Amino acid sequence: MSLVELQGIKKFFDDVRAVDGIELEIENGEFLVILGPSGCGKTTLMRMIAGLEKPTAGQIFIGGEDVTALPPRKRGVSMVFQSYALYPHMNVFNNIAFPLKAQSREKKYDKRAIRDKVENTARLLEIDMLLDRRPRQLSGGQRQRVAIARAMVTQPAVLLLDEPLSNLDAKLRANARDELKEFQRSSNITAVFVTHDQIEAMGLGDRIVVMSHGKIQQIGTPQLIYDDPANEFVATFLGSPSMNILRSDAFSFGFRPENFLPKTLADNPENSRIFHYYVKRVEYLGSDRLLYGYVHGHDNELTLAKVPSNVRVSLDVDCDYEFAVHNSDIKFFDKQSGQRIEEQNLQGVV
Amino acid sequence: MALLIWILQNFWSLLVLSFATLVGLRIAYRFRKYGATRAELSHILRRSPFYLVVLIFCFFAAAPFMIMFLHSFKVDGDLYRRPQPFIYRQDPTLEHLESLFTNTAYLDFIRNSVVVGVAVVIITLILALPAAYALARLTGRWGERAGILMFLVYLVPPTLLFIPMFRIVVMLGLKDSPLALIVVYPSFTVPFSMWLLQGFFKAVPPELEEAALVDGYNRVEAFLRVVLPLSLPGIISTIVFTFTLTLHEFIYALVFITNTSRRTLSVGVPTELILGDVYFWQPLLAAALIIAIPVGFAYNLFLDSLVQGFTMGAVKG
Repeated sequence: MSLVELQGIKKFFDDVRAVDGIELEIENGEFLVILGPSGCGKTTLMRMIAGLEKPTAGQIFIGGEDVTALPPRKRGVSMVFQSYALYPHMNVFNNIAFPLKAQSREKKYDKRAIRDKVENTARLLEIDMLLDRRPRQLSGGQRQRVAIARAMVTQPAVLLLDEPLSNLDAKLRANARDELKEFQRSSNITAVFVTHDQIEAMGLGDRIVVMSHGKIQQIGTPQLIYDDPANEFVATFLGSPSMNILRSDAFSFGFRPENFLPKTLADNPENSRIFHYYVKRVEYLGSDRLLYGYVHGHDNELTLAKVPSNVRVSLDVDCDYEFAVHNSDIKFFDKQSGQRIEEQNLQGVV
Repeated sequence: MALLIWILQNFWSLLVLSFATLVGLRIAYRFRKYGATRAELSHILRRSPFYLVVLIFCFFAAAPFMIMFLHSFKVDGDLYRRPQPFIYRQDPTLEHLESLFTNTAYLDFIRNSVVVGVAVVIITLILALPAAYALARLTGRWGERAGILMFLVYLVPPTLLFIPMFRIVVMLGLKDSPLALIVVYPSFTVPFSMWLLQGFFKAVPPELEEAALVDGYNRVEAFLRVVLPLSLPGIISTIVFTFTLTLHEFIYALVFITNTSRRTLSVGVPTELILGDVYFWQPLLAAALIIAIPVGFAYNLFLDSLVQGFTMGAVKG
């Protein structure tokens, strides 16, 4: 039995299908990332798990219990909001103690127990010296830790995080990502993390759920999703620069720019497909060279190649080269639905 | 007594003198702190036109109150002699102030006004707080429409309503009782306070309430523990505003209550101190001034949040 189970969850706002039939199981202790472009319904999905939105249809189970009709306070979940939503009129201590005080009505914590719990959680997140401050006196990173501490202090069954890193500057973000993952691993809490940032998703997630237009496109480990995308959307959404997609009369096919290399560099030329590649422009990115150009026979479809800089091959603008892609790195998609299909014959297409 | 008379007789010179002393003290303080450098002197010179303008506006704002204050102590002969003396020619007197408190029911008026005001404020808060919160969070088309509809009620003038209202008050058997005012005043204070409070509530991010919901509280608790404390300045200024609305309401108070000792300030003072075309100026001005001072203070304290409340309502519709 998985910890959280979503069955046929739908949410319509008037005519807009924000979430359209989600089936999802979240295992105990896993770090699940919901990834998708803005407006794909990922935040709405999380708010329904929290109980802040009511699904139009479907059922939500947490710990085997049907919580679809229960208010947030009876679900045993905690949430870290994008804006952190710290209470500005309370100091850090009272912010973290706030959910404990609510629980205390049933579990009867005395003042001391509350103080101990708050201080322990604060020490864990290294904010124990900030307990007397007000939220507005804290930096972005400190606020984020207070928000996590407030969500963690009651030891919830599920921790929901709604893009908690997006308000931090880039330098801080990498650091916070690392700490968050470490913290989740050591406390062994089940976390659901919503983001539109694929680097965050790949770095944090045990499993990633890719969403688009209110539907799940693919569920899997970061590697599976990257190497074996279920459809054209997942293939192009992940990866930077994104996968090259070329179309033929019967189907489309794609390959990642980093797998698109000069023929002389291909480690296994017999099993590779050779393309005639015209280079239009070269960008030098330090560790890589990014080439913009066209594959012969596909003059309207901009194709990118990412060649490591330490490879001493001269690649000049306005020249034709032979480039190779390993056969297993070419993915085929249905032209209408965009779904993955089995390998097709590329003879005569390029 | 002698001191008071001396102060009154030398009112203007004392005013100018105290102002000059304040300015002098400030200059002396800055000299001590920064030293009498050329920069400091030029700073004072540069700022002086600004302060002069401020001074003129202060005088405009304060002059009516000063004149009220000075006239309250004048004997009739001094008050009615033309041209009006700038300051007392005959000795100032306390007799008008005495007669205000002994010959009229002024203390009763104050008590009635405070009772009515406090009761109306409480009723208004009980009704307007939940209503304003609902309107602030009902973001759909209906919430906005309902809000505008309720505000329209405020725009119907009491001059149009006092006759039907009077019938209702008589039917309820409340004629001649301050209860009549307590029942009727919320009809205009509630819509107004609701509008004002709605702006303050809208300024509280909904995420804070959602956080409280997830943290284990129900909606009422979230409102009481998060939204209310955050909009406290707004609520206090709403209280001040509602109280003043009841304080200066005239027509209902005039019609519903005819018994002198049950009247409120706004009606009691003019009916007692204006007989036909005879104005008892000195007690009239004293009565108005005494009540204006605390209200003025209250307004000054909460002026900022009051202005904020109005503009928030305006911007967010």
